[in-house]
Amino acid sequence: MKIKGNYKFKADQQTVWDLFNSQESLARNLPGCESLLETEPGKYDAVVTIGVAGIKGTYEGKVELAEPDPPNFYRLVGEGGGKPGFVKGEAAIKFSTDGQNTVVDYNADVQIGGLIAGVGQRMLGGISKMMLGQFFKKMAKELKS
Amino acid sequence: MTEKQSEKWVGKSLKRTEDNRLLIGKGTFVDDIRLPNCKHAAILRSPYAHAVIKGIDVSEAAALEGVRGILTGEDVAKMSSPFPCGVTIPTKYYSCAIDKVRFVGEPVAVVVADDRYIAEDALDLIQVDYEPLEVVVDIEETVKPEAPVLHENIGSNIYNHRFFKYGDMDKAFEEADFVLKEKYKFPKYGSTPIETYAVVASYNLISEDFTIYSNYQGPFVNHALVSIALGIPENKMRWIVPADVGGGFGTKTGMYPYIALITLAAKKTGMTVKWIEDRREHLLASATGTDRVTFLEAAFKNDGRMIGLKDKVMDNTGGYIRAPEPGCAYRSTGNHTGAYQIRNLEREVMVVGTNKCLTAPNRGYGCQELYFPLERMMDKAAKHLEMDPADIRFANMIQPDQFPYTTATGGIYDAGDYPRGLKKALEILDYKKMREMQKEARAEGRFIGIGIATVIDPSVTNIAYVTIGKTIEERGNEKPKSGSGDSCIVKIDPLGSITVIATTNPQGQGHETVISQIVADEFGVDPSEIKVVNTIDTNSSYYTITTGSFSSRFASVGTTAVVIACKRVKEKLFKLAAHILEVDPDQLEFKNKIFTVKGKPEASIQMRHVAGSAHWNHSSLPDGMDVGLYGSACYSMPTSKPPDEEDRVDSSNTYGFIAEVIALEIDPKSCEIKFLKWASVHDAGTILNPMLVEGQVMGSVAHALGGSLYEEFAYDENGQCLTASFMDYLVPTAMEIPKIDIDHIVVPSPFTALGSKGAGESSTMSIPPAIGNAIADALSPLGIEITELPMTPNKIWHLIKQSQT
Repeated sequence: MKIKGNYKFKADQQTVWDLFNSQESLARNLPGCESLLETEPGKYDAVVTIGVAGIKGTYEGKVELAEPDPPNFYRLVGEGGGKPGFVKGEAAIKFSTDGQNTVVDYNADVQIGGLIAGVGQRMLGGISKMMLGQFFKKMAKELKS
Repeated sequence: MTEKQSEKWVGKSLKRTEDNRLLIGKGTFVDDIRLPNCKHAAILRSPYAHAVIKGIDVSEAAALEGVRGILTGEDVAKMSSPFPCGVTIPTKYYSCAIDKVRFVGEPVAVVVADDRYIAEDALDLIQVDYEPLEVVVDIEETVKPEAPVLHENIGSNIYNHRFFKYGDMDKAFEEADFVLKEKYKFPKYGSTPIETYAVVASYNLISEDFTIYSNYQGPFVNHALVSIALGIPENKMRWIVPADVGGGFGTKTGMYPYIALITLAAKKTGMTVKWIEDRREHLLASATGTDRVTFLEAAFKNDGRMIGLKDKVMDNTGGYIRAPEPGCAYRSTGNHTGAYQIRNLEREVMVVGTNKCLTAPNRGYGCQELYFPLERMMDKAAKHLEMDPADIRFANMIQPDQFPYTTATGGIYDAGDYPRGLKKALEILDYKKMREMQKEARAEGRFIGIGIATVIDPSVTNIAYVTIGKTIEERGNEKPKSGSGDSCIVKIDPLGSITVIATTNPQGQGHETVISQIVADEFGVDPSEIKVVNTIDTNSSYYTITTGSFSSRFASVGTTAVVIACKRVKEKLFKLAAHILEVDPDQLEFKNKIFTVKGKPEASIQMRHVAGSAHWNHSSLPDGMDVGLYGSACYSMPTSKPPDEEDRVDSSNTYGFIAEVIALEIDPKSCEIKFLKWASVHDAGTILNPMLVEGQVMGSVAHALGGSLYEEFAYDENGQCLTASFMDYLVPTAMEIPKIDIDHIVVPSPFTALGSKGAGESSTMSIPPAIGNAIADALSPLGIEITELPMTPNKIWHLIKQSQT
């Protein structure tokens, strides 16, 4: 499953970059994130609870912010599993300046398997976009405050 | 003669005797079987389509309170061997993955626990270390050299590959006025019986006997296959099927691996184990129909006659090949040329594997896949010739005076009048008027289409057909197989009541009702007086290797066994009554349960007194006569023979006929299909119970409507099944079923006792091509060809868009 899009933040690129590298902010705003513990720089153990198409479950896994090129780019690589199946994927996150704003482009390729794939995959595209929207909104709100 | 004796029960819409118990919730299904100390199983299934199992850690799950034992692939490999299968090199198919998984949902472990909740919780605690491998899901991709190989012992993804030649194809192509070619795809769709797979297995540690209840639908040849795989003698592995099963449709022929798996779980734990499949498991990993790609080439004369047919089929049986596959490719051998006089046929059969769910027959096994391309091709030729699609079929049909008709491939068509059947369907549709209406609608830019399919509906599969998966040389090294038997015992009890012990393995069709009608006619009694016991117990039932409820066996061979058993017990009754009355049996007449000497009404004896003599006073019997009053038959159709040296085989033993004519309209905006009129005319020979036949036809309509418009097991490129719930696997509901005009012509079969032919698979094979033809006809102004199913609104919309660019 491929998900692509972008979000515009009213802040300079360095501020947005810092926000997207802050473990606290990510943990607070990632949908369903129950814990995000840094094991070594840029690497985290994550616990996420999400429900898709009536399949609610907790996934435990690892997330890495790889190939960092501050303040322009990193690659988010993650994999996790839980009762509803497994999720594996990576997303290229690009930061660029557009006048007063910073644009965050994301391009993700996600593989899922197990129950969640059989029951929820056809809805997952829409749900992922919705959850990403929630995430960016929350991040933007954090910038304002 | 009383009123009652003059009327026949066969042919009447007698209400189902089964329904009383079912409607008040007193049916006996497998889940209703409550054995003492029964434990419950849950199955861990692979989330990957193709992966190496590097390790399984069950320690945490085993420690969970209430868990009684865990079976893994390692145990299964030790306790069993792969199931036999009729191909040159079978896949190593066990009831559980051993070191590699090859489709999502493949069993990886079984947990046995005090209840299902604990068993399911324990599944989450099992750690499986998978190493994912490259996946292949496409039929044509999987045979390419770069495709990942599923089975190392085979070395490619081709499970079976054979070539066949019947007649003189070169001559046919030489003499042809034109040749047409097309590629067709038939979807992977299935059956979704109300009752899912269910198994209860117990192991007697002292006698080392296994008793296994299941809702298996046969064929009982698989009892022998499981015996081989598990190394348990047949007589120590007792399979019992209760009287009530909630639908089979072919899917439940594919449950024998689960019978084996739960049996092994019972053996390992020494406990009684129950497993009831849930719906998601059923959709993900039970069995689906076989999807097929067909490359068709047909040679025609300008008068519309098809004189040669060349096909290459690629059947996909998923991650493994298991019996009865490669049967999908061969089950239609005898009727491969349909209702037509085609004498030249060339076939290439390739059965391939991909990382998808395994297959089993799906109502109309092999014939849905056959007729969609064949009947689409007929329409393609009609269009090429600017001929009416009905006329091209009339031009090709076998004529009524040609029966019994032996096809180029060895099928012996018993009886039929195909032109009359199609004419009747056209009349019901008011075909000419509908064509005029279509013309007017077309002028207004509306999309109305009429689709016709005329097909042969084979029943009573001859098991010999599966053996042509092997070459003549390979077959020469093996013992031949043939047959399509069924059995029955009729007994007259000591006080004169009649009991029928049948083993037709019903899945809800109403066999008890029909048997009571047949036996009531034979004895001149009311059907309510007949007790029909119709369950299977491999330790005590009188059954055959082909026993099972598949290929519409009941109406033809099953009922023939019932009639023969009745005749045999009646013959004995006559002999004994004659002995008591001191006359010859042919001097007797039998009416109202009384034997009377012809012309001497005072010399008579009641049937119950004759029965009484047989049971209560053995010394009254004539010399050499067995005591008691039993009549039995274990009957196989005489045309069931092994394939000959030219690969010809009478793959089924009766051949019905269906003419399906459908008029529909496509909404150009939403691409939704609305059915305008639908005529379905069947020749199932003598109709035993019209209400039940109508039920079968309506069921087949719902089934085939699914495969034609809605249902498909969809997979993503990683082999993940996207349709594991009814949210995504769309089954038509009552709302989607249109009004159908069902009618019959009756051309009795000379091969069955009552003249009946099968009626169970029915329109599942004629509707997919008829709908395909109707859609193509509706969209023909846009030059659109329909070469695949299901035709969802989405696909139609894309076809329309493409045609406009």
